[in-house]
Amino acid sequence: MMVFGLRARTCWALRAFAVSRRPLRSSSRTHAFAKELFLGRIEKKEVFPFPEVSQDELNEINHFVGPIEKFFTEEVDSRKIDQEGKIPTETLEKLKSLGLFGMQVPEEYGGLGLSNTMYARLGEIVSLDGSIAVTLAAHQAIGLKGIILAGSEEQKAKYLPKLASGEHIAAFCLTEPASGSDAASIRTRASLSEDKKHYILNGSKVWITNGGLANIFTVFAKTNVVDSDGSVKDKMTAFIVERDFGGVTNGKPEDKLGIRGSNTCEVHFENTKVPIENVLGEVGGGFKVAMNILNSGRFSMGSAVAGMLKKLIEMTAEYACTRKQFNRSLSEFGLIQEKFALMAQKAYVMESMAYLTAGMLDQPGFPDCSIEAAMVKVFSSEAAWQCVSEALQILGGSGYMRDYPYERMLRDTRILLIFEGTNEILRMYIALTGLQHAGRILTARINELKRGNVTTVLETVGRRLRDSFGRTVDLGLTGDLGVVHPSVATIVEEQMVLKRVANILINLYGMTAVLSRASRSMRAGLRNHDHEVLLANIFCTEAYCQNLFTLSQLDKYSPENLDEQIKKVSQQVLERRAYICAHPLDRTS
Amino acid sequence: MRDYGVERDLAVYNLLLDVFPKEVFLPRNVFQKIFIHYPRQQECGLAVLEQMESHGVMPNKETEFLLLQIFGRKSYPMLKFVRMKLWFTRFKNVNPFPVPRDLPTDPVDLATLGLRRIEPDLSAKVTIYQMASSRDSTGTADPTEQHIVGIQSPGQQAALARHSPARPVFVEGPFSLWLRDKCVYYHILRADLEPPEEREVEEIPEEWNLYYPMQLDLKYGRSAWDDYEFDIDEVEEGPVFAICMAGAHDQATLAKWIQGLQETNPALAQIPVIFRLTASTGELLASSSGLEEPCPPPAQEEEEEEDKTQRQQQGQS
Repeated sequence: MMVFGLRARTCWALRAFAVSRRPLRSSSRTHAFAKELFLGRIEKKEVFPFPEVSQDELNEINHFVGPIEKFFTEEVDSRKIDQEGKIPTETLEKLKSLGLFGMQVPEEYGGLGLSNTMYARLGEIVSLDGSIAVTLAAHQAIGLKGIILAGSEEQKAKYLPKLASGEHIAAFCLTEPASGSDAASIRTRASLSEDKKHYILNGSKVWITNGGLANIFTVFAKTNVVDSDGSVKDKMTAFIVERDFGGVTNGKPEDKLGIRGSNTCEVHFENTKVPIENVLGEVGGGFKVAMNILNSGRFSMGSAVAGMLKKLIEMTAEYACTRKQFNRSLSEFGLIQEKFALMAQKAYVMESMAYLTAGMLDQPGFPDCSIEAAMVKVFSSEAAWQCVSEALQILGGSGYMRDYPYERMLRDTRILLIFEGTNEILRMYIALTGLQHAGRILTARINELKRGNVTTVLETVGRRLRDSFGRTVDLGLTGDLGVVHPSVATIVEEQMVLKRVANILINLYGMTAVLSRASRSMRAGLRNHDHEVLLANIFCTEAYCQNLFTLSQLDKYSPENLDEQIKKVSQQVLERRAYICAHPLDRTS
Repeated sequence: MRDYGVERDLAVYNLLLDVFPKEVFLPRNVFQKIFIHYPRQQECGLAVLEQMESHGVMPNKETEFLLLQIFGRKSYPMLKFVRMKLWFTRFKNVNPFPVPRDLPTDPVDLATLGLRRIEPDLSAKVTIYQMASSRDSTGTADPTEQHIVGIQSPGQQAALARHSPARPVFVEGPFSLWLRDKCVYYHILRADLEPPEEREVEEIPEEWNLYYPMQLDLKYGRSAWDDYEFDIDEVEEGPVFAICMAGAHDQATLAKWIQGLQETNPALAQIPVIFRLTASTGELLASSSGLEEPCPPPAQEEEEEEDKTQRQQQGQS
């Protein structure tokens, strides 16, 4: 029943784009759930049932969880870390001894060798302190991930053991002063030396987490690559650079708004000699390496934020039930109850999405879950900001004071919307990658239709007839007013349209994750599964209504679509670079 | 098995099932498969599994293997086993207020558990007024002090502070609370409902909230058929101020409880306390029932009943 409902909703959702429901030949099991969503198909095998771990694995992970949780509640003083702006060395040593510096490093190199699900579980606890979480993530999720994913055996054997034990810390150097989201425009150059045994690295990187502490950097630089047809091009290459190679200097730690405990600074490379054995992947293949690294670490943000939100709900509920105003405790007022419901709901959705993605990633083979991970990141970062803000609001004046941790958590969560790919860029990524995938398949179909392939024609016609009898939903390529969206050709420029598409997709993925998890809880009989069903229903209804509205905004000439007006306003404001309206008190005479 | 105390032990059940001869009861041809093969033996196996079910023991792979060897895959015990495996996991968390399997033996802990079940509000505080004094090993001296554990929430404290000294409060009990197979008795401190004339209508002062009016006097002129206030099933009861569980049910122990309560509720010193203790049924010692006031108990209770009927009549009219 609910699956039918989902299917009808997704069909309606993509009526401007999708045509077919099933490919001609049954494709082999594709591990692309989000990409199939763009075609109006829900790969039920991927998401239902919700990925489970066996009881032994669960016991093992709980075994890890205990001491780490104890450490974080007792010995980590987040307030001090925030005030001083650095993490004390004893804390770092303890983290190293707990093995948290090599969670995903395979066991033969000395790490814990955890699967994605277990990593996400540990991330829940580590996120109790934002600075520590970011330091660890910068070290493992991006710093040494490059070596694990794209490194050769010698590189792994050389660097991973020390990195896993925490003796050396890793950092990921991609951003430069002139290129943040625009990664391909970096200016750091690596030129081959005369004896062809070294690359000379020159350039500077900015906002590098762990820059001051790290010994091993994954640096991206432009190199001259001779193409197969003889032309010399500038392509990005990834290098493993050790601080001992010389010429590596870092600036002073930056004074940040939040996550003040993590060390962020500039790193300058001056004639650093990098041996050619330290090239990660192949020369000129840096772009792919960077993309793989960044795409693989994103999903853990969902569970990390969920862990933090759970703690937040506990603290805030304690306050709300004890504080009394107007002779009633705060928990009796409707607006406060709404906030708690929002926090619980967002935490639930985040958790479900993160663990669903982790489960999909843990499947054998190398499934491509980059869109799902991006969706998890976008949703969790925005929900985190909203929920922490609401929690601070519940506390009112005390939430604003520095004595309480709320303002620190608010500042720490603000960075979530920015790093690991800004939310805007990720929305473009989600929308465009999906459209690319869908478009490829659809253009193939249309070509076949044009060629007059009899089976295709009959199939499509048959499907349309069946649908027109069975459902009242139009599945054509045409939109509401009978025209294809006029800007299909230049869709890359239409960011506002793409943002709406991405929002719809994120909502859909959230709904699937939540439904999958709730149905599994009911079937397994976990405790409080009726509460989960409530949360799932609330979220799905709200997301459905939002999706409907977003869809109505997608049509170019629909009254809800204000893109033209918005563009005009912004053009006029940016032309003068100021607010151009006359002052309300102005007169003409 | 209860005599030996092993009714919850899975290994014992497995050993019991091991007693059956293996491979004798397996059906061999299609006719044996149609009819229940060796029905009495299957019923016996079913009885073992049924006892496991009633004691809530979850069977494991060893049980499955044994049953497979003894009865075969299509037998009734195997079917029951499969059902147990499915439904036990699903029903493990079905009780929203679960009682722990192993109840604490210490009477103070048991009392705390019971009180928390009666009053689950997290802001209520459990106070131990008196610990049970340990019994002498010689057993000659009777324990003179029994444990007294009480619970009171801040709302109840505030209500007691507001209670006028003109009206008495009653200590009633003992009422029984069953926790699995243990019965604990509790007493409550309650007062009667104030008659409507004396009831204080909580006045919402006009200038209470700086921002929005707390009371809106919008008269819609609702007549009788729109009045949803009266609910024939809801009976208003008097407030309960505190609950306690004590080892003995006599007035002396409960008086100690009231003294303990007076520390946190100084208003209680002025309010007359009437002890209305009924004879306890069941396991503990017979308590002495008595009243503090000289009026005879039946007359008091008759008066109570008259009051109640009067109030009901008033409510219905």
